[in-house]
Amino acid sequence: MNRKLFVASSIGAALSACSPIGTALNGNDFVHNVIGTAQGLNHLVIGTRGMAREYRDADIDAQFRVNGLDTPSDARYTDYVARNFASYRLVVDGAVARKQAFTLPQLQAVAQRTQITRHDCVEGWSAIGKWSGVRLGDVLDLVQPTADAKYVVFRCLDVDPSGLPYYESLDIQQARHPQALLALRLNDKALDPDHGAPVRLRVPTQLGYKSAKWVQHIEVVSSMRAIYGGAGGYWEDQGYEWYAGI
Amino acid sequence: MGKMKPAVHRYSLVTRLAHWVWVVAFLVLVSSGLAIFNAAPYLDASDKSNPARRVLSIDAPQDGVGTTTVFGRTFTTTGWLGWTDDGMGGKSARAFPGWITIPGPYDLADGRRWHLFFGWVAAICWLAWVISAALKGHLLQMLLHPRDLPKLWPMQAYYLKLRKDPPPHGRYNPLQKAAYTAIGFVIAPLVVITGLALSPGVDATFPFLTAMFGGRQFARLWHFVGMGLLIGFVFVHVFQVLTQGFANQMRSMITGWYRPSPHEGSEP
Repeated sequence: MNRKLFVASSIGAALSACSPIGTALNGNDFVHNVIGTAQGLNHLVIGTRGMAREYRDADIDAQFRVNGLDTPSDARYTDYVARNFASYRLVVDGAVARKQAFTLPQLQAVAQRTQITRHDCVEGWSAIGKWSGVRLGDVLDLVQPTADAKYVVFRCLDVDPSGLPYYESLDIQQARHPQALLALRLNDKALDPDHGAPVRLRVPTQLGYKSAKWVQHIEVVSSMRAIYGGAGGYWEDQGYEWYAGI
Repeated sequence: MGKMKPAVHRYSLVTRLAHWVWVVAFLVLVSSGLAIFNAAPYLDASDKSNPARRVLSIDAPQDGVGTTTVFGRTFTTTGWLGWTDDGMGGKSARAFPGWITIPGPYDLADGRRWHLFFGWVAAICWLAWVISAALKGHLLQMLLHPRDLPKLWPMQAYYLKLRKDPPPHGRYNPLQKAAYTAIGFVIAPLVVITGLALSPGVDATFPFLTAMFGGRQFARLWHFVGMGLLIGFVFVHVFQVLTQGFANQMRSMITGWYRPSPHEGSEP
């Protein structure tokens, strides 16, 4: 029996030794970059061309779990809400032939798509919602990206406690995925502020943080290097993968 | 007992390297996996999250109290699960304690980085070893063969001291073969596949994988169960190494040289 205890305690000791060693190595830039190489392999093997499963009405979560940063509470946003987003414009510019600023009625006039898809949070939980809105690809067709366009950057109305605004990005191929949606409605109702009113992105083939809420400005760019931390998103600048298929 | 047999060169360089790479990868994968689990410390037997189908949850119902609920039965696990070491010298609401997770302080981004990298290390190492072992011909010596089945109970009887001698066998005894076959060719691959199946990109690109395990949350549950089985195997494996000639076993996995016991034949 002593031996069994010894086995248990030596495996426990090996595991507990891992944590301090791992934590120490974690701070090393070289190690950090080496372990980050898995992202490229995952992107290559899994890709972003697959179609997310679409569900039935019976699968919908009536109370769709709220994810992400706190709902904006600044004067500009509360004013938007108070006036039913009458002065809201979704600006789409950058490397495009025809930049535009869409009002909500203008977005509602573009062909509407509806999809019932699962939202997979990076934390591990999932919820299913019915999303309606405009295909991102249709909006890109309206503004016509130029030949050097590589990425589509989404700038949002929410700001974290240190003052950093939320933003996200997709490459052009991901942005033209038929399920990439600028959602205006959730579960047959106009988006409420907690779920990203008036416009949020839905990218059901990747983890939830890609599906930016409170989108106000879409910028088509050839490089993201000069945008905030340069990693292509609020969470990406904090070490999360830009390729969020896994 | 019989006389000592001369030492043989049993483990190839590839096998020995693969073994120790797996030791490191396994420890990192368990530690970083528990760090990832901490972000949503519950497991549901369903596709989307569904508290009605919750199999396991680890909670801190109030400051200073940790609980673990398994199939609806709640146990107090303060200090071990639920309310634990925060990895920074204090205590906080955290499913698995900081002393067992990589990194110690809560950091989902870095836990994922370690996990996804060492997942590749373990999988590539497995592929390289299988190819090498198959080419050298020693893969078949490890795999359970139908003719080993009648020897499984006699071997177990020997371990239980119900039998004086083990049944005659080749390089590996029938229980070893059963364990290696189950772990190396069923459970470890399933752990990799369930890990892939719980991600949205894999679900979109290879939907049959996620569907096969009952959906995303169910795949997450199977991934966790698979980890438990691998940990169980490691416990038995280390126990066997400690009790069946520790120095001989360790030397063989470092230098390759192994002194067979009198019962071991040379045939597969």
